[in-house]
Amino acid sequence: MRKAVLIFIALTLIIEITACAQQKVAQYNLSEKDWNVVLEEAKGTTVNFYGYGGDQKTNNWIDTYLSNELKEKYDITINRVGMNIDEILNKLLNEKQLNVNNGNIDVVWINGENFFTAKENDLLFGPFTHKLPNFNQYIDKNSVEVNYDFGFPVEGYEAPFGKSQFVMIYDSEKVKNIPVNHKELLQFVKNNPGKFTYPAPPDFTGSAFIRNIIYDIVGYEQFMDMEADEQIVREAIQPAIDYFVELKPYLWKEGNTYPSESGLLDNMYSDNEVVMTMSYNPNHVSSKIETGEFNETSRSFVFDKGSIGNTHFLAIPYNSENKSGALAVIDYILSVEAQASKYVPKTWGDLPVLDNSKLNHEEKALFDNINIGKGTISQDVLLNNRLPEMPADLVPIIEKIWMENVPKKGE
Amino acid sequence: MKVKQSKLFSLIMYIIIFLLVLPLIIIIIWSVAKSWPWPSIFPNAIGLRGWKYFFKPTSKSIIILLHSVYLSMIVTIITLIITIPAAKALALYNFKGKKIVELLIIAPLIVSPVAVAMGIHLFFIKLGLSNTFIGVVLVHLVPCIPYSVKILKNVFEITGESMEMQSRVLGASKLQTFKHVTLPIISPGLVSAGSLVFTVSFSQYFLTFLIGGGRVVTFPMVMFPFVQSGDRMMASVYSIVFIFTTLACMYIMEKITKKYYKTEGYFYIN
Repeated sequence: MRKAVLIFIALTLIIEITACAQQKVAQYNLSEKDWNVVLEEAKGTTVNFYGYGGDQKTNNWIDTYLSNELKEKYDITINRVGMNIDEILNKLLNEKQLNVNNGNIDVVWINGENFFTAKENDLLFGPFTHKLPNFNQYIDKNSVEVNYDFGFPVEGYEAPFGKSQFVMIYDSEKVKNIPVNHKELLQFVKNNPGKFTYPAPPDFTGSAFIRNIIYDIVGYEQFMDMEADEQIVREAIQPAIDYFVELKPYLWKEGNTYPSESGLLDNMYSDNEVVMTMSYNPNHVSSKIETGEFNETSRSFVFDKGSIGNTHFLAIPYNSENKSGALAVIDYILSVEAQASKYVPKTWGDLPVLDNSKLNHEEKALFDNINIGKGTISQDVLLNNRLPEMPADLVPIIEKIWMENVPKKGE
Repeated sequence: MKVKQSKLFSLIMYIIIFLLVLPLIIIIIWSVAKSWPWPSIFPNAIGLRGWKYFFKPTSKSIIILLHSVYLSMIVTIITLIITIPAAKALALYNFKGKKIVELLIIAPLIVSPVAVAMGIHLFFIKLGLSNTFIGVVLVHLVPCIPYSVKILKNVFEITGESMEMQSRVLGASKLQTFKHVTLPIISPGLVSAGSLVFTVSFSQYFLTFLIGGGRVVTFPMVMFPFVQSGDRMMASVYSIVFIFTTLACMYIMEKITKKYYKTEGYFYIN
């Protein structure tokens, strides 16, 4: 009797498995859909928004402003899930492998090498940006920053969300002469031994600092179409590696150890352990002053040869069950109101992605009237000093070369 | 002599308690400290940003917390139901392959479940269990069962089977024996196993993440991003809530068991 029950259970399981494997969701045919139909379908649905969840302001912006506006405008409910992009990609890769067509991620916040991985593995739905009315109206479609994400062609598989740019943060009480290039920085660090350090890659911010120094020393142009070969990259960045080795003994703890994350460096800065920190978000300084973590006298600066900037994007996974909802949400995020609200440092302080020349007078005024907050550099200065990100496949190679040469030397 | 010994004992106890409580005090201060640089003894500025965000309905923190407690409670109950017979069998009976069974049960403690999580995830996708509440409950059982079996096995080894045999001899049915003899005897073990299982389940991050796929959101999932991003105020707020929730649940569990088995179990719980 028992055996019979067991066999029965085993059989039902097998049937269940085969049944699941065969399920298919109807194809979503975007090209045949009118935008009004998309909005109609999106009405009353829930959109699952997946992305980084470690920033209280960003979380709050999505949970309050975006949620309320979407509820009011399209009757869409936003369900924000804070998840690191690696985990999101793992989940999608597993689902892809098993042909799961009813995934629960509708919008994913992504960029750079993660976008590359996702696109290479066909994890994304698209191209879709050409359907979004706000994309067509406000975005500069010829802009390199819209068409390329860390050197990879976007091809309509992700829509811009916001822009960030690398800035250095210092305490104006303690640092009187800002080091505006790598030479001055070296001199500054030599004069203030133990008071400067940077996060070790693969931390996002630390890695960006290293690239920014590389750009400052050897220029950025050559990297734009460089082959992802270790030997070639090594030769190109050798002067910068020598520079890091020279810098090392004057760093915090003689450079024998580095903060593993930019959050740690921020904490060290607020604890007066070091006199400079850095961020890939130009508004970081004003938001940290506002929360009281940074001194009122904190300011930010960029190197005179420019600083690296990138765009972060929104994409739709191939197996989203609510593609219409996702499209409506992304389109709304590209609206003037949403971009302006996002730019207010009190709410988030993320740089807008809209093309200034496509805005009318009133819309421009909306952005101009925003008080960008203490310590932040104005958008014009940032954009004038903006350098493109390196192709994503060079980034891990540079991190590896740094790892092999800088921390080990002198041990 | 005796007085001296107990004084020494209480001194050690106080030191241990102090060492345990000190970090707690520090995170309580951090939860309201805007900035607290070295060498200040007290924070420079106080603010309620963290607590405000936590209690704000839009952050959904409280709902997620309650949901997380509910999930861990279910995991605890299921784990106990599964492990009572298993622990009893391992403690009192001899059968073929006992060592292997024991090893298999302890296996999740040796090989971290994280290592097999990917496989479990693929399998659960096939079964349609990923992104579901049941799936998360099932995957939590993996790290929970070994602890519970370990504790209950020791309890059964101490109590033995004689009381149950006595009850059977006197004519009680199997069910009656279990209800009126076995359960009261092992109740202190149930409390400790239950508390531990609850804590293990409540702190699961990666497994919940992978199997729940963001559909099932538990407390550690909203807490970890803040810990990771170095926002000490937010991280402290969530840690405090985390610690006190586990403590409260343990306390309630112990109270309920105590009340239920008032007469039978008093000499086990002090």
